Amino acid sequence: MIEFRQVTKSFGPRTILNKLDLKIPASQIVFVLGMSGTGKSVLLKNIVGLLKPDSGELIVDGYPVHQMSEMEMMNVRKICGMVFQQPALFDFLSVFENVAYGLRRHFQLNENEIGDKVKEALELVGLPGVESKMPHELSYGMKKRVSLARTVALKPKILLFDEPTTGLDPISTNRVNELILSLSKNLGTTSLVVSHDMESALSVADHIVMLEAGRLVCQGSPQEMKESSIPLVKNFLSEVTQ
Amino acid sequence: MISQALILLGDYLLFFNQIIQRAQKSWGQREEICEKALQVIKESLLTTVFAGFFVGAIMTLQFTMQVQMFDAMSYLGALVTSATVREVGPLLIAFLLSGKIGAFTSAELGTMKVSEQIDAIRCLGADPLKEVILPRFLGIIIASFFLLSFGLLFSFLGGVLMASSFSGLPWEQYLTHIPTIVSRFSVISGGVKCLIFSTVIATICTYRGYQVLGGAREVGEGVVQAATQTMIALVLADWVSSFILEGIANA
Repeated sequence: MIEFRQVTKSFGPRTILNKLDLKIPASQIVFVLGMSGTGKSVLLKNIVGLLKPDSGELIVDGYPVHQMSEMEMMNVRKICGMVFQQPALFDFLSVFENVAYGLRRHFQLNENEIGDKVKEALELVGLPGVESKMPHELSYGMKKRVSLARTVALKPKILLFDEPTTGLDPISTNRVNELILSLSKNLGTTSLVVSHDMESALSVADHIVMLEAGRLVCQGSPQEMKESSIPLVKNFLSEVTQ
Repeated sequence: MISQALILLGDYLLFFNQIIQRAQKSWGQREEICEKALQVIKESLLTTVFAGFFVGAIMTLQFTMQVQMFDAMSYLGALVTSATVREVGPLLIAFLLSGKIGAFTSAELGTMKVSEQIDAIRCLGADPLKEVILPRFLGIIIASFFLLSFGLLFSFLGGVLMASSFSGLPWEQYLTHIPTIVSRFSVISGGVKCLIFSTVIATICTYRGYQVLGGAREVGEGVVQAATQTMIALVLADWVSSFILEGIANA
C-alpha cells in the first residue's frame, strides 16, 4: 500500500530521513513512534507530497509520488487524507464550510449531498449540530475532531494522523483512539499514525514501527513490542508502565 | 549579501509569475476578489481620507511660505496639486497603506502557513495560490488603487481648504492656474504610479506572508520584513517610474 525504498530527506545539513526502507500494509492501523525530530511528521508529509524525497522511491497505492508533479499529486490526495498535528481549520470559514471544503473540490455534488456528507462526518466524530459555529468558538479537542471530520468526509483509502492525541485530555485521547479504530474497521482504511504515545499505540495499533534518526529501528505487533529488548522500545514502554 | 538579494528577487519574481498565470483564469473568482477588495476599502478608507487630506494641507502650508516670497500666491494651487498628484500624494498614501494592508495580509498569511492551514488546503486538493493568495492579491490591487485615487482627491480638498483658511487665498484663485501646470499627463502619471504602488504592496505582502516558516516569532519577522521591503520597493518604484514617465513626457 505504502512503500518507502531508500528514502532520504534532508533540510540543509540535517538529514531527517536516512535511506528509510518501510512497508505499510493495507487495511491496518500502523503507529510510527519515535523521539521528537526523528522524521515522523516528515515521513507523512512526503506521502501526501507536501515534501519531496531528495532520493529514493516512495510508492503510495501504486503511485510513484517521488516523481509526481503538484498537479499529478491531486490523484494521490483524493485517496490520502491527512489530519494535521494542529487542527489547521480555516478560521475564516464556518465548521460546515471547513468540512465541505474538500468535498466541493474533489466531487461533483449538489448542496443537499454536501450537507448530508458534512452532517454524517460530524456525527462520526461525535460533534453533531456544530455546523454553523466558527472555529474560534470550539475547544481545542473539538477543533481536532472537526479536522478529522473534514478528512474522513472524503472517505479516503489511507488516513494519515500527525500526533492526533497531542494536547488532548485523557477522555478526548480515548475518544480519538476509538475513532481511529472504528474508522479503520468500518471504512476499511489504512491508518498511519505518527505519535509519541506508546499507550495509544499498544491499545489501537495492528503494527508498530519505531524510528530513530530517520531510520527504522524495529517493527512488529504490539505484543512483539512489549517483549522487545531494544533500549528505545523499553524507554517508551517504561513511560506507559509509569 | 548581493547573492542573497538576487536569490530573493528571483524567488519574488517566480512567485509573481505564478500569481499572474493564475490571474489570467480568475474570472470565476470575481465575487471573492470583489469581497476582498471591499473588505480592504472598508477597513482603510477613513485612514486614507485622513492621510490624504493632511498631505494636501501640509503641502499647501509649505508652499505658501515659498510662493509668498515671490509674490506668486495665485500659483499656490497649481504647484501644490502638481506636486501632490505626481509625487508626494501617491507615495505617502502608499506608505500608509503598506503599513495597514501590507502588515495585516502578511500576518494573516503567515499565521495560516505556520498553523498548517496552507498545507491542509493542498491536502484537500486545492491550490493555495489560487484559493488564498490570488483573491487577496487582486483585491489589494483594486482596493489600493481606489484608495490611492480617493486619497489624492482628498489631498486636493485638503489643499483648497488650507489655502482658503490659512493662506487667505480664495478657492477660485487656488484653482485658477491648475489647468496650466497640472497637465493631463500629470494626472495620468499619478494614476500610473497609483497602479504600480498598488501592485508593489500586493505582491510583497502576499509573498512575505506566504514564505513564513516556523512559529509566532517568524510571523512577526515576516510582518517586519514585509513592511520594510514594501517601503524600500515603493521608493525604488517611484524613482524608476518617475524617470520613465519623465522620459515619455519629454519625448
